[in-house]
Amino acid sequence: MRGILLSKLKLFIRNPFVFIIFMVMSLGFALIIGGSGSMATIQVPVYAADDSVRDSAIEDNLTGIDGFTFNWMSEEDMMTEVENGSAELGAILHEDNFQIIVGVDSPNAGTVEQMIQRAYAKEQQKNQIYEAARASDNLNSEDVMDELEASMELPVLSITADYFGGSEESELDGTFQTLFGFTLFFVIYTIGYNVLSILTDKKNGIWDRMILSPVRKWEMYVANLIYSFFEGYVQVLVIFLVFRYIVGVDFNGKFTETLLLLVPYVFAIVALSILLTGIVKNVQQFNALLPIVSVSMAMIGGAFWPLEIVESEFLLALSKINPLTYGMEVLNGVAVYGYPLEELLYPISILILMGVVFMGIGIHLMERRHV
Amino acid sequence: MIELVDLTKKFKHNKAVKKLNMFIEKGEIVGLLGPNGAGKSTAISMMSSLAEPTSGDVRLNNKSILKNPAPLRKIVGMVPQEIALYDDLTAEENMRFFGRVYRLKGDALKRKIDEVLDQIGLSDRRKQVVSKFSGGMKRRLNIGVAMLHEPELLIMDEPAVGIDPQSRNYILETVKHLNEERKMTVLYTSHYMEEVEFLCDRIYIMDQGNLIASGTKEDIKQILSAEKTISIKASRLNDHFIELLQNTPTINRVAAGDKEVTITVPKEINMFPKLISLAEESKLELSSVDAKTPTLEDVFLHLTGRALRD
Repeated sequence: MRGILLSKLKLFIRNPFVFIIFMVMSLGFALIIGGSGSMATIQVPVYAADDSVRDSAIEDNLTGIDGFTFNWMSEEDMMTEVENGSAELGAILHEDNFQIIVGVDSPNAGTVEQMIQRAYAKEQQKNQIYEAARASDNLNSEDVMDELEASMELPVLSITADYFGGSEESELDGTFQTLFGFTLFFVIYTIGYNVLSILTDKKNGIWDRMILSPVRKWEMYVANLIYSFFEGYVQVLVIFLVFRYIVGVDFNGKFTETLLLLVPYVFAIVALSILLTGIVKNVQQFNALLPIVSVSMAMIGGAFWPLEIVESEFLLALSKINPLTYGMEVLNGVAVYGYPLEELLYPISILILMGVVFMGIGIHLMERRHV
Repeated sequence: MIELVDLTKKFKHNKAVKKLNMFIEKGEIVGLLGPNGAGKSTAISMMSSLAEPTSGDVRLNNKSILKNPAPLRKIVGMVPQEIALYDDLTAEENMRFFGRVYRLKGDALKRKIDEVLDQIGLSDRRKQVVSKFSGGMKRRLNIGVAMLHEPELLIMDEPAVGIDPQSRNYILETVKHLNEERKMTVLYTSHYMEEVEFLCDRIYIMDQGNLIASGTKEDIKQILSAEKTISIKASRLNDHFIELLQNTPTINRVAAGDKEVTITVPKEINMFPKLISLAEESKLELSSVDAKTPTLEDVFLHLTGRALRD
């Protein structure tokens, strides 16, 4: 078994390109899509037609809204962004009214309209209070405004949020979605092409040579599987290390736990690859099947977008038999929501169960087809 | 040493091997001859315990190995038809890998690698990756890997297919040397008659899953002892001449090529006058007419009605 592992390692050192390509792609996609935060917020270009708009509190009122970023710019730039599709919509703000310029008809137009309306209403309310204070002889309008600002800081009703299972407050971050999604997606390829070497060894007669040797068949399988697991895990490890120590994503203080809880997912993907290798008859079929399976898994497993936005009952049902769904659940659970281990036992158990079942069926199919 | 008894292998739609009986004695080189698709590879897969027969038995020293192949696996070395090597590893690394698989270690492994690389003439290429090797070098390494653990029985499945004549000669000489010096028993399958004729003491001929002849080279050639073959060469053969040959009752078989036609006739008949008259009748300009000693190729033609490489 040691001999097989050493030869695999040597083959990897001599030809590490598949590993590197998929790692760079994971890093690239996660950095470009997730790191920029563009997926998390909707960009709204805004043009202030009157100078008074920017002097007023409307700008403040439109700042720090969850999910939307209002970017102030010239009218020409704003129109260009909407025209070329960089932004779904834009807004022209006058002193007393505003216009929404819609490029793409979407529900966001209504939401943005409400936000701007609310910003104007807030500004108007503030102005009315200020005017009322000024009209009264007994009150100093500046003091009234200060008091108003202070009261706004201390609202009548205070709201605190609590999380099921987790004690720490966490925030859903687009970086995690894309980082986890693309990492779990691309590692399927790295592992898949490693497990495929069993099929190519069989085709080339290397497997037969080993069968005739004193090496036992289980050692041949285990060595191949350990190596595939190891290479897949190292790929994810390197990606997460880059994000942790170079990009500066802190995994909400759960970096070690995140790495440990990856193990069941990588195991399940190794097993899934064995199943696929057992189903196909040759390398060409595997090359066709792997992208179909991996992309489908990523789409219905929440790797490309959060599963919460999927409404189809059928797709949601399919996601229940998808290891990627549970991989995302585990990683999001530990790094985003800060769930304790007990909360994650369910997806971990499912991943292990899937691993055992896939591996059993896969090896059976391989053994039935080949000696 | 090893014996196949009524060995049969059925696949879904065909019977690849039909009730094959053969044996190999210790120290022999036995040839298994047949065209592509004859069932040779399936037969040796079963013999080496890599494939399970549908029926029949494989016996090593009179004990079946179907249930317990371990004793056979201990003594067998397999040279598959494919190049069963890692392309991205060097010759030495491939040797080391397969040596480790055979539980060779340390100095013993190093010594054995040096010895085998020397034997197959690749010592000076040991650090070169296999993907950079020529076809002949790959074939030699493919054989070398099977010799690492000093097997008593070497099963070679078309080991010299698709390579240049120089490399083929090297391989044939190596096999002969292994047999003579080390008393290694060899089963050599091929569809090249001349390889088998050069190497083997005894020959089995298979076609379409059946064993159609067996024995020593001389035994097999005796099949044609009552006949002789005559090779007729002409600058341009014409169809009329071939037709006349085919219609001549004393000629048993006619195999026509572009410039040469081979006929088989009973030994006692003098065909020369008849051939010359047929050539005149068909206005054919003869270059030569030679009576030949029958070859294994002729035997195969006689037995199957087809040339071996059809």
